[in-house]
Amino acid sequence: MTRFLKFVAGLGLAAVLLALVSREAARCATPTSANPDAITEPLAIIVNRSNTISDLSTAELRHIFLGDRSHWPSGRRITLVMREPGEPERKCMLHDLYQMSESDLKNHFLHGLFTGDILVSPKILATAVGVRKFVFNVPGAIGYVRLSDVDGSVKVLRVDELLPDDRGYRLKLEISGAKQDARAKEN
Amino acid sequence: MRARKKTETGANTGKLVQALDRIIGTVLPQYTALVLVLVFCVVAIVGSFVMRDLETANTSAENMYRVSVQGLLQVGEMQYFAQETRRATLYALTTNDSNLQLDYADQTRDADRQVTRAIADYRHEADMPGQVELANRLSRDWAEYLSIRDEVLASILEGSTKEAVTLDLSGGVPSFERVKQDLNEVRQLYDQQASQRLANVVATSRRSALRLIGTLGFTFLLSMGAVWAIQRSRMLGAIQLAKLQMDFVASVSHELRTPLAVLNSAADNIADGLVTGKTEIQRYGAMIRNQSRQMNELVEQILLFASADDRSERYVFEPLTVNQILDAVEKSTKELVDGSGVVIERRVEPDLPPVMGDLPAIILCLRNLVGNAVKYGSSENKWIGLTASRGVSANRTHEEVLISVSDRGMGIDRLELAHIFDPFYRSPRVVNMQIHGTGLGLSLAKRIAETMGGDLTVVSEISVGSSFTLHLPALERNEVEMRPASAQPTSLPQR
Repeated sequence: MTRFLKFVAGLGLAAVLLALVSREAARCATPTSANPDAITEPLAIIVNRSNTISDLSTAELRHIFLGDRSHWPSGRRITLVMREPGEPERKCMLHDLYQMSESDLKNHFLHGLFTGDILVSPKILATAVGVRKFVFNVPGAIGYVRLSDVDGSVKVLRVDELLPDDRGYRLKLEISGAKQDARAKEN
Repeated sequence: MRARKKTETGANTGKLVQALDRIIGTVLPQYTALVLVLVFCVVAIVGSFVMRDLETANTSAENMYRVSVQGLLQVGEMQYFAQETRRATLYALTTNDSNLQLDYADQTRDADRQVTRAIADYRHEADMPGQVELANRLSRDWAEYLSIRDEVLASILEGSTKEAVTLDLSGGVPSFERVKQDLNEVRQLYDQQASQRLANVVATSRRSALRLIGTLGFTFLLSMGAVWAIQRSRMLGAIQLAKLQMDFVASVSHELRTPLAVLNSAADNIADGLVTGKTEIQRYGAMIRNQSRQMNELVEQILLFASADDRSERYVFEPLTVNQILDAVEKSTKELVDGSGVVIERRVEPDLPPVMGDLPAIILCLRNLVGNAVKYGSSENKWIGLTASRGVSANRTHEEVLISVSDRGMGIDRLELAHIFDPFYRSPRVVNMQIHGTGLGLSLAKRIAETMGGDLTVVSEISVGSSFTLHLPALERNEVEMRPASAQPTSLPQR
């Protein structure tokens, strides 16, 4: 009986989790059948212009952003730059790349820093401009901003050989009118 | 010996002063305005040079100020922004907030851009070898510091504070010290250049001041010289006039005294009963009459001269034929001519037009000329030419009748020709020869000629003779017809 109850609870939890994941996926995607009017914008992965890397696979990118990989092939230390929790860009990354929740991500980094697997905690910046400037100033930095926030001071990486403008690029962020207004204010 | 030298020097100076006086006396009375214009032109030219000089000095001073002050300001700005670059980098070390660190990163980059631009300007403007070398070194050291600063900044942003401090201490501090040293050298170089420019400006100003003093002194001396020359000229003129008047008084006294002495002597002889017999009395009477007439003529001439200026209104202008004039002149001078044994040769061009004038005045004018021809004519060749011909006025506007009185006497010096019509003027040569006269005859004759609307000219050559020509405007035929037969007082014909 106890086993049965545990099985049912597990199924229920899985269903809830599935529902949550589905909803988040719908939010970050291009216009879908569920929300055909939604507007999306690609999320660009940016590095310093001196960085020799120009292409990463989704798996490599995930490794880097989880802190599992600490140095670039050139020997430079990798510095992760992230937006504050709750920001759409961070949510999109959580959904599309990390595929974990905010708390899981926090736990992951806390655990990694505690065990010494992760050497430096990610830098949290308030604005997209801050992210861009940080990447510009730090040769080993990697971060993410909307494609519209990119300028010539940083370099945009290909992910799975696709640039943000290319069809099939995975990292996309759904924005609404209200959010657009908020961004306009932020900029 | 010394006294002799002194005497010679004095004599030379006297000659120089005399020569100077001659030049001043000859040139200045006629060209005073020209001299003043010349002085004005010289002063204007000198003034323009002085102004240009002052302008150059001012421009030099302005350039010196601009270059030096701007240079020092540029160095000051470079030093300030270099410190700002470093200060903002070090401030980034004091916080763990990445957003704040980014603000400091922005500040340090803004400041370093200012320094980089100022260094580029300095390199561009550098023209001296030392300056170019210093500019290149500064640029190199600054680039080196910036590369270390970038590393330090990256370490700070990465969160590696310890690494950033180590990097800054090992590389940032020494390279920044080199930059500071370079900037100090730039400042010293500017100071040296400013001192050099200041010295140049001071030297230029001194030269300008000396030139200004020199030119002002020269202008002052020139002006004083001109004023002195003009005053001297006037003084010489006044002295000459006074001398002429003194000579005139002496001459008149002498001219009066001679007949007076004759009259006195004759009167004494008659009163003392020394003159007896009809023939003797007749001779004495004729002598007294001649002397009285001579005195009367002299006094009349003086009075005529004195009143010649306002006499034109009292002249009676009438049409006169040339023969009418010449007959009257010959008649008037018959006694004088006969007495001196001179022969008058009269030549008149046929069909001469009549002239308009006052007959007594014209006779007086020509009688003076004939009297002079008798007085200064040759003692061997006692000949006087009295000719009349047709001519054209100097400005070629009307026809003239020319009546010339010529002699073959001593002639007049070329230098004296300009003065013979001056009142009271008597040639030193005739004074020395003790030929009596008042110096008024020619002046009076010229005034009469001009009052008649004509002129009196002279052509003369030493030891050859002189020829005085009276120019009288000719009357046209219609003018003659329109005039009444009787002579009426009239004004001077307008020409």
